[in-house]
Amino acid sequence: MKRAGPGSFGAVVSLLTFVALAASLISGCSSAPSSTSTSSSSGGGGTSGGGGTTPTSNVQSISVNTGPDTGQGFYDIDTAFASVTVCVPGTSNCQTINNVLVDTGSSGLRILSSALTAVSLPAQSGSINECAQFLDGEIWGPVQTADVTMAGEKASSIPVQLIGGSSAPAVPTSCSNLGPVMDSLTDLGANGLLGVGNFIQDCGPACTVPGSSNAGFYYTCPMSNCVVTEEPLLLQVSNPVYSFTTDNNGVILELPAVTGAETSITGSMIFGIGTQTNNGLGSTTVYTINPNTGNFTTTYGGTSYSDAFIDSGSNGLYFLNTATTGLPTCSDYTFWYCPTLTTSLSAVDHGANGATGTINFAIGNADSLVSNPQDGVAQGLGGPAPNSFDWGLPFFFGRNVYVAIEGQSTPGGTGPYWAF
Amino acid sequence: MKRPKRSWAIWVALAIGIAFAAGADPLSVSASLGGGVTSVEADRAKMEASSQITGKDLYSIHEMHAPNNVVVREFVSPGGQVFGVAWQGPSRPDLSQVLGPYFAPFTEAAKKLHRTGRGPLIVQQPGLVVEMGGHARSFFGMAYVPQMVPAGVSTGEIR
Repeated sequence: MKRAGPGSFGAVVSLLTFVALAASLISGCSSAPSSTSTSSSSGGGGTSGGGGTTPTSNVQSISVNTGPDTGQGFYDIDTAFASVTVCVPGTSNCQTINNVLVDTGSSGLRILSSALTAVSLPAQSGSINECAQFLDGEIWGPVQTADVTMAGEKASSIPVQLIGGSSAPAVPTSCSNLGPVMDSLTDLGANGLLGVGNFIQDCGPACTVPGSSNAGFYYTCPMSNCVVTEEPLLLQVSNPVYSFTTDNNGVILELPAVTGAETSITGSMIFGIGTQTNNGLGSTTVYTINPNTGNFTTTYGGTSYSDAFIDSGSNGLYFLNTATTGLPTCSDYTFWYCPTLTTSLSAVDHGANGATGTINFAIGNADSLVSNPQDGVAQGLGGPAPNSFDWGLPFFFGRNVYVAIEGQSTPGGTGPYWAF
Repeated sequence: MKRPKRSWAIWVALAIGIAFAAGADPLSVSASLGGGVTSVEADRAKMEASSQITGKDLYSIHEMHAPNNVVVREFVSPGGQVFGVAWQGPSRPDLSQVLGPYFAPFTEAAKKLHRTGRGPLIVQQPGLVVEMGGHARSFFGMAYVPQMVPAGVSTGEIR
């Protein structure tokens, strides 16, 4: 199993690593991925020396492992988790939720009702519930308000979603008609989802318009009779990072390189881009995206696919299908590829700004990669995606990935964009 | 990492039964996949969509644009049967409408996948293929009934 990332990108990452390490005065092995060194500082206060005021701690430890015990014998793989603290707004009535999935493919914090046991968050006025759509189904539950804290950063009084629970009205048919509804620990494989993607809100302008033009995420449920409602941007479930008082223009995910299958790895989610000494862009390349869809273009086998995206919440490299790639799917896991031998492939990512980068990657045999239930990490997991490229978590292994939020100013330009 | 085995025989029987039911009385089917070309109009009306028909050598595409910017394409054989559908937009269309009698088998199969972690939802049955993917602000997918796809048509064209 080869590590993902060609020589040219490896050089970029190494240079960035050097800059980051030098700037933060952390000594370490120069050939190691920076995430190892950076994550070691995640528990404490400021991460850099600098004189004067102590900078806000902006490093949140993340871990890729088998996830929470579902009691069903199902285990996560290639899924990144963080701990998130939620509080009743303006109080110290708080609970820290562990095993929350870190998802750059969505925006907003959602917590499984069965995991939120120590605090009761206030509901947003108007009996607002949400049918939040994801690539593989819907999440239904009430919109509530919370203070959200990670590392030294705090988002005050932001809308979050509770997943399911006794306070949720029955799922409306118009929601369940969109695909499978995911409302349990077994469905999610996580205690919640932390959406830290390019967009501020989970739905955006499409949910503020009336009638049949509305995208239909938000419902008002007086007396449990739920109908789609217009939801103003400020009331929509939104990316907590955007609401931080500092370091609020994006995040960086840093994970070490992976070879084959492993039990677990740890890394860092760093808040802010170019706001502190530990989150500069260095010499990474900025790839801008379509501001409406969040997509860029990936070219593979001489064909351009305009629905390409990077999603830490997808647990593999998902692209095209067997007819196009020649990679057979597994007999049991039809959502994964199962080539007999690990297959090396290459694609080119094209930002809307014209930036290009070759991505060398390898797809292994998923049946053998997931054969040990103790392994929560595997390089080479991949599978089909409908005429698209979904660069999931293995894309992040050994590569620092920057997620810039729409409309936010950074040293690399105004978001939204990716940089790596 | 365990996963329940499914019984292929049940799915084949189910698919054949559905295909027969849909083919026997297409007018009674208010939704699209597997239905007659008349069901396309039912979909268009439900979506409050404008539509446009493109003729190809081996099939025609009925493309519908809904006011919420969801686009649904229905692929119709020369015999007037919807053998495939594809969708794209800032949200998903009503899949119970678009997949018609195949919606229930689809959601049933999806629940049995018990995938470990998140990713595109891929259902591959002898009588039904559904691929669903995307991310916030951009959802897309496609579905087809392998037995209904006209000879010479690549399923990669259903998009």
